[in-house]
Order: sequence, then C-alpha cells, then structure tokens
Amino acid sequence: MGHLVTSVAPLPLQGGGLGRFIDPFVQFLTDITNLEPVLLQLLAFGLLLGGVYALTALGLTMIFGVMDVINFAHGVFLVVGMYSVWLVSEMAGISPFLGIPIAAAVLFVLGVVVHVLTVEPIIEAPQQNQLIATLGVLFIIQSAIEIVFTPDPQQVELSLGSIQVGGVFIPLGQFYALVIALGTMLAVRAFLNRTDLGRKIRGTADNRDGARYVGINVRRINYLTFGIGAALASVAGGSIALFQRFDPFTGETYLINAFVIVILGGLGSFPGAFVGGLIVGMIQVFGGYYLPGTTAQVLIFLLFIGTLLVKPEGLFGGAEA
Amino acid sequence: MSAIETVRDRYRTFDDQRYAPLVKGVALFGLLAALPTIIEIDVAGMELAALLSLKVLILTVIYAYTAQAWNIMSGYTGQFSFGHAAFFGIGAYATQALVVDAAVNPWIGMLVGGVLAGGYGLIIGALSFRFKLQGHYFALATLAFAELLRFVVTNMSELNGANGYFKAFPRDYGAEYGLVAFQFQNDLPYYYLIVGFLLVVTLVSWVIKNSWVGLYFFAIREDERAAASVGVPSFRYKLIGVAVSAFFTALGGAYWSMYFNTIRPDTVFALFKNVELLLPAVVGGPGTLLGPIVGSFIVTPVSEIARTTFSDINGLDRIIYGAFLVAIVIYSPRGVVSWPSQARALWKRVRGDEEVSE
Repeated sequence: MGHLVTSVAPLPLQGGGLGRFIDPFVQFLTDITNLEPVLLQLLAFGLLLGGVYALTALGLTMIFGVMDVINFAHGVFLVVGMYSVWLVSEMAGISPFLGIPIAAAVLFVLGVVVHVLTVEPIIEAPQQNQLIATLGVLFIIQSAIEIVFTPDPQQVELSLGSIQVGGVFIPLGQFYALVIALGTMLAVRAFLNRTDLGRKIRGTADNRDGARYVGINVRRINYLTFGIGAALASVAGGSIALFQRFDPFTGETYLINAFVIVILGGLGSFPGAFVGGLIVGMIQVFGGYYLPGTTAQVLIFLLFIGTLLVKPEGLFGGAEA
Repeated sequence: MSAIETVRDRYRTFDDQRYAPLVKGVALFGLLAALPTIIEIDVAGMELAALLSLKVLILTVIYAYTAQAWNIMSGYTGQFSFGHAAFFGIGAYATQALVVDAAVNPWIGMLVGGVLAGGYGLIIGALSFRFKLQGHYFALATLAFAELLRFVVTNMSELNGANGYFKAFPRDYGAEYGLVAFQFQNDLPYYYLIVGFLLVVTLVSWVIKNSWVGLYFFAIREDERAAASVGVPSFRYKLIGVAVSAFFTALGGAYWSMYFNTIRPDTVFALFKNVELLLPAVVGGPGTLLGPIVGSFIVTPVSEIARTTFSDINGLDRIIYGAFLVAIVIYSPRGVVSWPSQARALWKRVRGDEEVSE
C-alpha cells in the first residue's frame, strides 16, 4: 500500500496544533460526500488485509478459547509457516500453493511438541506462567530461524500480477491469500460444528471439567487444539508469504494485531475473529491513507484498550467456540 | 556432621536477631560495591573481568533495579504487569526531552519522569481495576498501554519521532561532568550510582514488606476477595502498588538514558523491554527482596556473555534467554531464591527416610 500513501493530497495545517488530529477526519468525510473512487480502492485493500488478519487470529483464539492459554509463540509459528513455504518453493521447486499444506503439517507436529514440552506441565499454574513459557518459545524459535536463515528479509519468487475490477486494483497475491483465509475458516468451522472430534473440542472449550466427566480425553483435545492452532498460524503465514517479504521478526506485528482481534471479536469466537480482522484491517488501510505515519496503530491500541475495559468478552463473546 | 549442625544453629540464632536484615543488607551491598575490584583480581592468570566487564555489571544492576521496582507491583500485590516498558520509556523520554530541549538538569528531568510515570500508572490501574481486569486480560491491557505509548511517541515530531534523542553534553545544560550533571567520563561512577539506586529501591521495598502496606499487598495477592471482605481497601492499595512501582521504574529509564548515548521508541518502549524488565524478578523469585537481584545476576551476565562470546552467531543470547524463561516457570516457579529451602526440605526427607528404614 506504499504507493497509495505517497499519493495523499497535502493536508492543510498538517504538522502542528490540533489540526493534525481533525483534518484527516474532515478529509475523510469530504471524500465520502464526494464519493471519491479512492474509497472503493481502500475498501478493497481493507478487505484483503482484514481477511488475512482474521486467519492470523484464528489459531490464537482457538487455543485461547479451549485451553485458556495466551500463546505468545503464535507469531513465530506464523514465521515458521512463511519460511516453510519459502523453503519448499525455493529448494524443492514445488509451487508455494502446495507448500502451504506441507507447512501446516510441519507446524501441527511442532505445535504438539511445543505443547508437550512447555505448556502441558504448567496448564494448571497461574496464567502468567504460561504466558512467560510461550514467550520463551517465541525467543528460542525466532532466534533459531535468525541463526539458520540470517535476519535478512526473504521473498517467495512469485509474480502473480494484478487485476482491475471496475476501476479497483487488486493484487492477485493478496487475493489468493484472502481466498485461502476464507476457505480455511469455513473448513475449520465445518470441522468444529459437524465432526465428532470438533464437537469434543467445543465441549472442552465450554467446560473442561464437564468434558472430563462425559469421558472426553481432555489431554488429547489439548494436543489437538495446540497442533491445529499452530497449523492455522502456518497457513496464515504461508498465505502472507505469497505477497509480502518477511524476516524472522515479521511475526511480532502480526502477533500484536492478532491479540487485538481476538479480544475485539471475543475469546474463542470465529465470527468475532472475522469481524475483528476486518475492523483492524480497515483501520490500518484507511488510517495509513488519511493519517500521518503509523498513527493508525495508535487508534488500534485505543480500540483494544477500550474493548478490554468496557466489553472484555468482545463483540461476539461467549457465542460459540 | 555435628560441625555443620553447629554452624546451622549459630546461623539460626543470628537470623532471629533484630539486626539480622541490616547485617545481610550491608553484606550484600558491600559485595556489590566491591565487585568492580573483585572482577580484576588475578586468579591463576585469569581475570574475571575478561568475561564480566564493568559494562555488563552496570547492565546487570540496572535490570536488578528495574526488576525490584516491577516486583513492588507485580510480585507483592500479584497484579502481573507486562507493560513496564511504558514507565521505563516515560522516565527516559522525560529526562532527555527536558535536558536536550530545555537544558534542564537531568535529576529534575528524572523526577518529572517519575511523577509522569506514576500518573500513567494510576490511569492504567484505575481503569483496569475499576473494570475488574484480571489474569490474561490485565497482562494484555498493560502490554497494550505500553505499545500505545511506543506508537504515540514514534508519531510525535515534538519528541523527534522514530529518531529519538541523542544525549546532550553537560555544558549544554550548564554543568560539569560529575554527580550533578548525571554524567561521568568513565564507567566506575556510573556503576556506584546505579548500585545506589538499587539500594534505595531495595530499602523502599523492605520498608513496604515490613509494614502494614506490605501486609495489605500480600493479602490482596493471596486472595483479593477475602482481603476486601475483612476491610482491606484493595482498589486503593493496588493503585499505590502501581504508582510506586511506576515511579521507580521511570527513574531506571532516566538512568538508562543518561548512561547510553541514544534513546529511541524502539529501544526504551520495545516489546522485548517489557520482558527484560520483569525477567530477573521471575527468575530470582517474585515477591522476594533478594529475588530480583539474584535473578539479574544470573540472567543478564549469561545472555551478555553469550552475546559477546558468540558474536558471530546472532541471536544465541535470545535462545538462552528463552530457555531460561521456559525452564524457570516449569521447574521452579518460585524462583532461584527458593532453592535453599527446597534443598533443606529434600535433605530432611532423605534423612527422614533413612531413619524409617533403620
């Protein structure tokens, strides 16, 4: 979206006083009343970004919902997904689109291993302990990637080009990422709602003790959830790699935004993750266009804090697992 | 065996004396003060200084200090803060902004930073406690407040945006190198200054722990509802914990900004800074007086030595950091300082078993 930012009209009064807070909104409202075509373009970019964001939050919200664990390693799982897809397509010459399911399988195993080694021993401990342990996992994996692949940014060699739909410019890489995100979300939803195993996961999310009483093997559900959560992160990472350069630290920004989306949409809620993803995506795209620098991120954090305080259960809180 | 028991009994008699904490404190800080000399002692042709430079010592004591400050809020009242970088950064920025832009003495800047951070802490606390955020939600809220400041400062041209501040020379604010200027021409005075900071925050922590304020804090940590039901004004006391902790953390940030040459939003407000500030307390033993200090002397030198020894392998220090995090919460959530008493308990059990088998 860099090319969009450069085309922004110079705003009056920018750089000082209260004007810099008010002018962007005035500009935004004028554009709406004038029905500027740029709005449609921004909306398309917001949708493309928001869909991918929703997918980055999906695995996090699932682990959060079922196990009540904040998985700080989620961002680095995303990065492992990016590097797996890149490795598969660079080294083995397989299409990155086929690389994504391979990455998901790798990450499922990694997720289960991480769970067994670090989360399972302290699943009953105070919540901050799991937070610290998964943070440790984040540092270990992130630095391991940095040592093996150097901190230099990498890129999947793929020139997909773009299409024009009714004057709206759509980069195909981002479009495919959105399609993958939507497809994955629908598949996971069907799995949770229609299969026996999925129902067991939802049951465990609702009530861990109750699940135990009716004979669900909660330990196995935990393994499965953590594995699926990690696999979902790698699908998200893999689809981001289709259109963006990445380095070992790319995960941090996505992780923070994924937290915001999970809280915004409501812990463990799938429609919540989707709507939350769209909201954050739209704020970033519109904010990036109208507001100077990274001010959009300030708005996102204010929204985050506001939600935590006023409605910590989120927009769709408690609706379903 | 009996000799060991005599020593143990002697130690217990000493431990019961009223002056025992004073003696221990003097011994600890005497050791800290002697460390720069100790590391230069030549042992069999090897100096400890080859591994442990004065710079590493300074860094170690900085993190001991900030962990001690974090401990007042999170260790004592049990409100786990994951966003202390907010206070640290406020201290650093208030000091540099006043020194560089207004030629104010850094000591004044530091106090202004402390008060501002205390105020920000009160806002965070008042909002979060009023809306009853707990556990994960509280930790995420504190993190969000810290990240919020990082992006606000990055986007404020008044605070030089992403470029941050470059430390001014003492003459720029009408002072000479020395204590008044908060700047020295070599590292040794910096070391004694931060040891002095640590002494102050440790004394404050000791006073809190041994007063009814500390009693209230610990009651809130153990069971807030029970504490409230017997009349502990928990809301007010949690706020006191946050404000005191934020104030002292900001002073650490001010010191940081006067020791290193530059500060940027990406260094003092960094996501990783939140972890660095609290880790020594978690490793050493949250809620204890000695924990943050012991923890920092374990964590900081190890990761610094890893960084310098394997400088060609970028990131190895973070792997060690991560391994510490995982290992400590799994195997010893009460921290390193709990090891002696656990070893004693183990010893008792082993001996007890022997007696039974006889």
